[in-house]
Amino acid sequence: MTIFLASLGFGLVTASVLAIAAVGFTLQFAVTDVLNLAYGAVMIAGAFLAYVVNQAGLSVWIGLLAAMAACSLGSVLLNAGIYAPFQRRGASPITMVIVSLGMTLIIEFGVQALAGGVSVSYTMAQGPTLRAGGLVLTVVQLVVIGAGLALMGGVHWLLHRTRLGKAMRATAANASLARTCGIRTRHVITITWALTGAMCGLAGTVFGIDSGSFNATSTDLFLVLILAAVFLGGPGHPYGAMLGAAVIGVATEVSAAYIPADYKYVIAFIVLLAMLGVRPSGLLGARA
Amino acid sequence: MNSFYVINLTIYAAVDAMACLGLSQQFGVAGVTNFGYIIFQSAGAYAAAILSLPPDTANGGFQSYIGGWQLPFPLPWIGAAVAGGVVALPFTFLVGRRLRGDFAAVGLLVTAVLLNLLATNYRPALNGDAGLALVPAPLKGATGQFTTQPASYQWAFTAVAIALCAAVFVLLRRVTESPYGRSLRAMRDNDAVAESLGKNLLSLRTAMLVIGGAIAGLSGGVLVSYISTWSPAAWGYAETVVLFAAVIIGGSGNHVGALLGAILVPVGFEEVTRYIPTSNNLPPNLIPSLEWVAIGLLIVVFLWLWPRGILPERKRVIPLSGPVPGGEPATAPTALARAGSPRGRESGIILEARGLSCEFGGVRAVAEVSFAVRRGTLTGLIGPNGAGKSTLLAMLAGTLQATAGRVIYQGRDITGVAAFCRARMGLVRTFQLASEFRRLTVMENLLSAVPDNRGDSLQGALRGRRYWRADEQRARARAEAILDRFGMSGYASQYAGDLSGGQRRLVEIMRALMAGPAMLLLDEPMAGVHPNLARQIGNELVALCQEGMTVLMVEHELAIMDEFCDPVVVMADGSVLAEGTMRELRGRSEVLEAYLVG
Repeated sequence: MTIFLASLGFGLVTASVLAIAAVGFTLQFAVTDVLNLAYGAVMIAGAFLAYVVNQAGLSVWIGLLAAMAACSLGSVLLNAGIYAPFQRRGASPITMVIVSLGMTLIIEFGVQALAGGVSVSYTMAQGPTLRAGGLVLTVVQLVVIGAGLALMGGVHWLLHRTRLGKAMRATAANASLARTCGIRTRHVITITWALTGAMCGLAGTVFGIDSGSFNATSTDLFLVLILAAVFLGGPGHPYGAMLGAAVIGVATEVSAAYIPADYKYVIAFIVLLAMLGVRPSGLLGARA
Repeated sequence: MNSFYVINLTIYAAVDAMACLGLSQQFGVAGVTNFGYIIFQSAGAYAAAILSLPPDTANGGFQSYIGGWQLPFPLPWIGAAVAGGVVALPFTFLVGRRLRGDFAAVGLLVTAVLLNLLATNYRPALNGDAGLALVPAPLKGATGQFTTQPASYQWAFTAVAIALCAAVFVLLRRVTESPYGRSLRAMRDNDAVAESLGKNLLSLRTAMLVIGGAIAGLSGGVLVSYISTWSPAAWGYAETVVLFAAVIIGGSGNHVGALLGAILVPVGFEEVTRYIPTSNNLPPNLIPSLEWVAIGLLIVVFLWLWPRGILPERKRVIPLSGPVPGGEPATAPTALARAGSPRGRESGIILEARGLSCEFGGVRAVAEVSFAVRRGTLTGLIGPNGAGKSTLLAMLAGTLQATAGRVIYQGRDITGVAAFCRARMGLVRTFQLASEFRRLTVMENLLSAVPDNRGDSLQGALRGRRYWRADEQRARARAEAILDRFGMSGYASQYAGDLSGGQRRLVEIMRALMAGPAMLLLDEPMAGVHPNLARQIGNELVALCQEGMTVLMVEHELAIMDEFCDPVVVMADGSVLAEGTMRELRGRSEVLEAYLVG
């Protein structure tokens, strides 16, 4: 039981990191129809930027803000410079995925060229350990969980209470219709990339905090978790991504307590393939 | 330059070329984006290794693996190809009709990442992270990597590798240049339309996965026999991206381009980096990292500047033969054998909908529609936007699954029959949106729809041109006759994607006729077509109906309905409102209200 509760604690932290990443990924897909496989690479670039800031003697939390800003800007440029021109030319979804895979190599190994292929970790205090009914979490882990919850609340508020959020939903549902209704969809798409890019930077840094040490290729496997969470809930559905992140995050960490930790990704992988094969629109998606 | 260097380079080139050919067939010809391609090469390599290695207690038992059967050459290589093909089979569920191509690609990519992780961490089966070593070379005992073979042996190995590569090339060209290959390319350009013309997408894609997998497996088997080791580090997911880069740069869909790409990208990169001066001042991972960055750059830059590659897929121009001596007369181009008695305008019912419904997430697009189409009629289907006409047509053709109700065709309940089977039964549809096969010529578009071509199966394609030439010539004669009938002979060798909107509609109708339908379901065939041409299409359809065909046509233009269609069915809000001649319908107030006012 103690093992279960301890791993549940880890699961909640992983689920929070995953929720931040998966919501950003799924929003990108919803609004721009790009399955941006480079998302994991942008995440790790953000994590490394936070590391550089951290190494300069500043707090990792300042690094986190820097990563959010940089990934936000980087994602806007990635869209404006690469994805949007291809889409304007009428590139098929398959071409877009191939382009995003090319961008994955460029960003991920660009980071590795700069960082030198070594694993790094942040210099930070974990804070006191808190225990409550068998759950054991550090203050930092609680902050990560809090960030995940705050982000989910924020996304809900954004999508349902603001004009921008409604414009985003309209663009996701039917971009050309939204355009004829007077919504500046290009504007909306740019802002979406900026917001999701910031989420990506946030996710990358908390991923680095959560995993202790990381290198340039660490997010290859984490991308599997993101995709599993996104497809479990239904690609393009923010609430689906939240649900998927909760299920996948907890399931992988709890299972890791009982099977060799190297195999914990297998559950996410099976979930992903099952969803693709049986119900690609996800649990919350409309029936295809 | 010593001979060892030349041999080494040639064998690598042959292996990479084989792998690229398989990928070119899957991706370039058939449009199956297999981001997990490296899995199959690896399956072949591991299979060849465990088939040729001695039991794992040998060599002091320093590595553990299953198998170890010490089979003689060439069994390990055959086993490699079989392994690659068999491992591909479970993935067919990802490439079926329902899944978006990019989703399937992501599924395969993730599988590659995960299998590599498992192979790295699970030691008993394939020795985990360290991988397998001391794989015996063909016809030799376990020599290990430190003893070298005599030069004559090395040259013989090289010759065999090149011969295998050439054999793969010939085989794939035979498949691609056949009617079966045309079906594959049609599927690549528009899979839903190919299905509506009777192509079984699942079977086509399964064949491509298995053939590509077997070729990849063979290339892995040859490679492991040469380098004598294989480990998870050799087949990271990104290796697939290198092969994709090669195929895209060489020319997607062109097998010669795949060979060129294999030489430029995987082989070229190995060589270029060999000459980069290694300096101790450089960080250790810099050069390999920059190689990957360069691969990524190559893909993005080529897709932007030269999306068709250095050697683009060539256009297959089929020369027109002019009037065919002894051929069918140009006025009766369609094989209407299945339409029953050719001139019988009998009043039997050919197609019937009984209580057909379709719901989209609570919205009833079509609600319990029942109506029948009489044989030999040109039945019109009208109704305001959103009435459910296209949805109804899709359910009749099988493109869309009905939520409730039945479809009866030629006296048979076909509600559960797949779209491609319905097409093969003579029930053929066209689409509201342009649906030409873009990178097929007009002639090829027409030929792609012909049923019963002996060359339109994998087996037939492999038996070679001689086997299917007669069928192909008959099909060409028919296609020429139809082109002539619609005045499109001058465009036969143009890519369908380069035509004007109206011409594309014509191509679509001609292509549907080539399928030899007993019944045509046309979705706004005259939308965007010049009025004169629309009238000509209408006259041709009337003539075809007199020859025994049946047409159900969705159309907005009431003048067309007036002139050609009898009877006309009116739909509104998902139900059938009325049926009769246009003259009768114009007199009925509820029709006028729904259609003209509402």
